[in-house]
Amino acid sequence: MAILPQRHPSRILNQIAPPTRIHTSTTAPPRPRRPHSSPLTLDPAATPRPPLPNDPTLRSNWSHRAWLASGCTTVLISLSKSVDAAAASHTYLEPILAALLGYVLADLASGVYHWGIDNYGGAETPVFGAQIDAFQGHHRWPWTITRRQFANNLHALARAVAFTVTPINLACGDATALAFVAACSGCIMFSQQSHAWAHTTRSKLPPLVAALQDGGVLVSRSQHAAHHRAPYNNNYCIVSGAWNEVLDASKFFEIMEMVIFFKFGVRPRSWTEPNTGWVEEAEAEATSLLS
Amino acid sequence: MASISLHTAHSFPSSLHTQTPKPALSHNLPILSKSSQSQFHGLKLSNSSHLSVPSPVSAKSAVVAKVSEGTQAPSFTLKDQNGSSVSLSKFKGKPVVVYFYPADETPGCTKQACAFRDSYEKFKKAGAEVIGISGDDTSSHKAFAEKYKLPFTILSDEGNKVRKDWGVPSDLFGALPGRQTYVLDKNGVCRLVYNNQFQPEKHIDETLKFLKSI
Repeated sequence: MAILPQRHPSRILNQIAPPTRIHTSTTAPPRPRRPHSSPLTLDPAATPRPPLPNDPTLRSNWSHRAWLASGCTTVLISLSKSVDAAAASHTYLEPILAALLGYVLADLASGVYHWGIDNYGGAETPVFGAQIDAFQGHHRWPWTITRRQFANNLHALARAVAFTVTPINLACGDATALAFVAACSGCIMFSQQSHAWAHTTRSKLPPLVAALQDGGVLVSRSQHAAHHRAPYNNNYCIVSGAWNEVLDASKFFEIMEMVIFFKFGVRPRSWTEPNTGWVEEAEAEATSLLS
Repeated sequence: MASISLHTAHSFPSSLHTQTPKPALSHNLPILSKSSQSQFHGLKLSNSSHLSVPSPVSAKSAVVAKVSEGTQAPSFTLKDQNGSSVSLSKFKGKPVVVYFYPADETPGCTKQACAFRDSYEKFKKAGAEVIGISGDDTSSHKAFAEKYKLPFTILSDEGNKVRKDWGVPSDLFGALPGRQTYVLDKNGVCRLVYNNQFQPEKHIDETLKFLKSI
């Protein structure tokens, strides 16, 4: 696991280092090359900027759509195999309960994953680097998630689901297990959508979504907003948010962070005061830099 | 979980201790005694049985001094945040609150240090001194103390020798150094042991409450 940079206020200027690559992933806003700055000055032209509303990095392309389609196909195959197997064996209760369990555990999984990429590693981390970078960008410009097109927003998770669930679909024929897999993977894949809805103002939400948030079926805007406030170390779950209270009250993530620190010497980002690369910029403030 | 951390605290009663076990405790098995177990969420060990049942692990090790209520705390000399050597014996004549914490600049330890800082005047009013001890080096302590303006001494127990000598139990199967606080009276005898890993501010409340009662 990469040793992460400290988010220390006194090293804010030093941490705006020249990038070594241009981002091509549409999950992160591109950062322009800039000359090496003196540690004592901040070149305003070099400040990373949020994507514009019609930025190509927010739009879906055919690769995104293909991954989304693959992910959805694998989930639908799990579901249909489960339904067929349930019908053949006339067992319905267990698959339904398994599906519910899948939905519940997807929320837990979303929290653990979110905590991991929020606190450890960086853009250079193998496999997860792009996601880590995207989540850091998200903390700085959280509203941009509401501007991402659907496939753009979900394709990374859809890709992970496609790779994970396909072998299970091939190997497994049990109605209950497949119901769990379909529900869990489907909820994980759509967690970026529930995440986006948690950043959307109520007036712009479909009434059904608002109702599901109010009912605790989807993570609420207020609960997720707490995650975007100091000390940025709670409310990590983004499917239903049902696990947030349990995990935060039991100090689950604090325990994990302490164990990782003492076993591997790696500090999570949430232990240090955030630098400007992490702190949220208000939408008006960020977009005014572009004018 | 509590029973596991109890195993780490097991030891033969030290032959160096002249303190005899209290008769009321002779029928208590410490494994079963709730009050002698280390827990995450707070346990005052003021009435605990420390006639420890030797575990197979400690049977193999040398005799280890363990500080518990009624025992004389063994002296030590460690370096403080300024690099100066500090001996526990220097504080004889006044009550001392010795708190062992996992590490500098971790959330719980920062909360605990700041809570001791914010209540330091109350400790002084009670005539007590506060000493923090962790395994970090003096430069880490210096930065920690300066950043949070800690008015009390924090000592560097590199290698965690004193932590082991005093028998501070670990948490989570040994994964986390324990957070345990001792209140010593003016003769250096331990009068209170309080353990709580994840509610660090409670160490201040409990020790102040105890100091006011003695």
